[in-house]
Amino acid sequence: MRFIPLVFVVLTGCAALSPAPSSRESKPLGPAEVRSAQAASEAISVGKSTKADVRAALGKAVVVDFESGYEVWVYRERSPEKAKPPGTELVLLFAPSGILAKTRIR
Amino acid sequence: MFAQTKSPRDDAVAVDAMRNPVDKSYRRMVEGMELFEKRHRLAPDAALRFKLLPRHRDTDMRDIQVEIVGESSAIPIALAPDNTFALERRAAALKENASVRPNRKAKTMTWRAEIRTPGLPAGVRRLGDLRLECEVGMQAGLISNYRPMLFGLLDPFLREGPEYCRRTEPRYLFFAERPIFGVTLVAGERREALPVERLYGGASRDPRWKEELPYCDCEVLMDRAYFMPLGDSSWPDDTRVEFDYMDGKS
Repeated sequence: MRFIPLVFVVLTGCAALSPAPSSRESKPLGPAEVRSAQAASEAISVGKSTKADVRAALGKAVVVDFESGYEVWVYRERSPEKAKPPGTELVLLFAPSGILAKTRIR
Repeated sequence: MFAQTKSPRDDAVAVDAMRNPVDKSYRRMVEGMELFEKRHRLAPDAALRFKLLPRHRDTDMRDIQVEIVGESSAIPIALAPDNTFALERRAAALKENASVRPNRKAKTMTWRAEIRTPGLPAGVRRLGDLRLECEVGMQAGLISNYRPMLFGLLDPFLREGPEYCRRTEPRYLFFAERPIFGVTLVAGERREALPVERLYGGASRDPRWKEELPYCDCEVLMDRAYFMPLGDSSWPDDTRVEFDYMDGKS
């Protein structure tokens, strides 16, 4: 019986320390959106990640594919509603081999 | 007239036949040259050339021959190996409302002004050069799109002339030497990469870009295409435009 109040205190403490998620964070991500371009870039590896790896890690991208076999994939950070586009973006380049060749964040 | 009468490829035409050639108005190109002189301060150390670019994958860009063709004469133009050429002002050709005419069919090539300040390293352009390229290109009527409202981009403004280039974000397409991954503006300590929506003709914002591609003179140059903030005066003419190519090292 003594244990129950202790658990209650711990849970209450967590709730007090964690900020309530903002409406921006709690909304599900849209297509080709990431919460953090930096974190997304750290989840993939130049020279190693395949398209399937990246899709599994980051979800669907905006894809611009060229006849050369190169593909540019674009993910955009969700911006505050009133922010002026373009917001932060993560741009990936896949070589014709299908392996991630370059990344950049703007 | 050119001696050649047989075409090495389907997109080549004998110049003396002149059916449906990919020509431009000599008068308008001379007007572009006059604008170049008037606005030369944008690129004071550069000369003006015109450049031919492919519009189709199978356009043969080798051994192109170009003439100024009027009613009574045809004057050959020297074409450099990079498919650029300079024009001279000729009163007779102006009087005859001549055409500048490569020996290729319509819609197989497009045209741009080529204005390069000498001495820049490979993979670097100068913003003032690009500003002047846009103005001359618009004045000379070099864009070769074939449908209004292409990509919702340039076409509605074609009649605007060179002043279109002084807008903050004109959608005049430039083409890099090779496919590009990134383009960065550099002026002193200030560096700013172009957003991806200003590369590849804005394709990343247009899910239907492939449907409209056949109407764009960027058809086979999409991976080299970019827009510049030409009218943004916070970037001086000496701003360096640095390219990160797809096939280059990071």
